Amino acid sequence: MTMCRGSCQGAGRPDMTPVYPTAGSYPDFARLVNRDTAQVDRRVFSDEAVYQAELRQIFARAWLFLAHESQIPGPGDFIRTSMGEDDVIIVRQRDGSVKALLNSCPHRGNRVCMVDAGSKARGFICNYHGWSFGLDGGLRGTDGKVYEKDESFEKAQIGLTPVAQVASYKGLIFGTFDPEAPSLEEFLGDFTFYLDIMLDNEEGGTEFVGGAIRSEIDCNWKFPAENFVGDILHAFWTHQSGAQAILGGGVDLGKRYDELAFQASVYGHGIETNLDKVGNTRTLGYPELVDYVFDLSERARARLGEVRARAIGAVSSATVFPNMSFLPGQNTFRVWHPRGPGKIELVSWTIVNRNAPERIKDLYRKGVMMTFSPGGVFEMDDGENWEYSTRVNQGFVTRQQPLHYALGLGSEDLERNLPGIVHKGSLNDANQRLFYTRWAEFMEHDNWADLQNGATAAPARTRAAAE
Amino acid sequence: MIELCNSTDVVEGEILRRDVDGLPAVALTRHEGQIFVFPDTCPHAEESLSEGWVEDGRVVCGVHFAEFELGSGEVHNRPAGCPNLTFFTCEDRDGKVFARLKEEA
Ligand code: FES
Ligand code: FES
Ligand SMILES: [Fe+2]
Repeated sequence: MTMCRGSCQGAGRPDMTPVYPTAGSYPDFARLVNRDTAQVDRRVFSDEAVYQAELRQIFARAWLFLAHESQIPGPGDFIRTSMGEDDVIIVRQRDGSVKALLNSCPHRGNRVCMVDAGSKARGFICNYHGWSFGLDGGLRGTDGKVYEKDESFEKAQIGLTPVAQVASYKGLIFGTFDPEAPSLEEFLGDFTFYLDIMLDNEEGGTEFVGGAIRSEIDCNWKFPAENFVGDILHAFWTHQSGAQAILGGGVDLGKRYDELAFQASVYGHGIETNLDKVGNTRTLGYPELVDYVFDLSERARARLGEVRARAIGAVSSATVFPNMSFLPGQNTFRVWHPRGPGKIELVSWTIVNRNAPERIKDLYRKGVMMTFSPGGVFEMDDGENWEYSTRVNQGFVTRQQPLHYALGLGSEDLERNLPGIVHKGSLNDANQRLFYTRWAEFMEHDNWADLQNGATAAPARTRAAAE
Repeated sequence: MIELCNSTDVVEGEILRRDVDGLPAVALTRHEGQIFVFPDTCPHAEESLSEGWVEDGRVVCGVHFAEFELGSGEVHNRPAGCPNLTFFTCEDRDGKVFARLKEEA
């Protein structure tokens, strides 16, 4: 496309239809994950070209968490967030549906919405030349003195670029920039079975309480994502002192660890859990919350079955590929937004059952702040490790050395009737291997048929049997 | 005065636009039974007020959200430099709306 010179006589109107990126294929990057040797090349944490490929292959295609329905209950309620490095506005429409819009003016690209969140917005006005957009993103007007007199100007096809698809799963709103992406439910696959431990353990579902906490950590986004996907191992060392301060003892995976603990993975999403009922909840330091979760777990048995009822408050953690994580029972919920290969913006919230008593909600809010906020006991423990892992991996010689992801090779559990790829024991690198396998699938494949039918796809076990 | 439309065309809470020969377009609305006539052109940046809406007794411009009190035209939520809106004198005569759109003798 070339711009005409001078008067543009005869030039057509500019085509302002949204442009959605297309994927490519990066087999060299895919090979940075070696499944045969259970090794990950350190360049995945620091290489700028790899990072740019991640933005294209992963963040421009995968379904990404945008908001909880409870954050934008009414028409015109909105929040601002990111999809990868792209700034987006999530806004409730007058008909109750939700739209996600690129937060960049189609005129000169200025950021349109400056605030983090708001309610009952009438629309969004760009601060540069005053172009005004409706809740649906359509251009509503500009400056009539100028544009209405320009015969060639046609505002009907101009607007904020809509995120290609938006959908919800039990209160969580996701979006993807890929018009070709399969449905959200297909993307999550059987992992919804495990999401329901947190999202659907009681009538009424969940909500976010309090605001968001934002912080920056100088680490690659995959370190926290892989940590939550399946690394309980670090808790014994990293969180030992914090656990002793709050629990009066070390991290405890329960007496029936060998029999009960497992990891499950579907399309790179993963959960590790010990089914010890209240281990995560105990780390908040409020006995009242522990009682609440014991009771909740009892009541949830009919709804979720024995296994998932025991998981509601257990020592456990989960990640939805690529960058949304949460701790069941502990109730921190977070997104690790990439900001270059060596930095993330962490946004975290507290998630509670909508029907929980107010006092319980408040205890959760306080407990999460004391443990998983920038000044929280456990978050500080983690952040330092991820920063040093990221920084040191950049050394020229250092980054040529292999990394070890081999704990629990051969521990796949083919007997247990649970959805996903299941491994015995939570002290295992299995989910992390599958997280990076999924990462490699995204690097390798330019189409969803291959993406949804590779090594990370769950075997066809029936959910009914699990429940 | 110039005849604009049937008074039944002016519906409570809605804004109706009328083109008038030789003059800028006008807008009409009805609030608590009473009819109001005003320029369709927003005094801020000349966008069309009939594409806005009426809320709490004010005309809201849909572009930069200037709000004008029905009747007095006083501006609220004012974009920089936006003057008040001037309403036209109007009458409902036997089911027809008439308004004085320019200084007449
Ligand atoms: S850049 Fe937004 S109005 Fe010009
Ligand atoms: S044009 Fe009406 S408020 Fe700007
Ligand atoms: Fe941790």
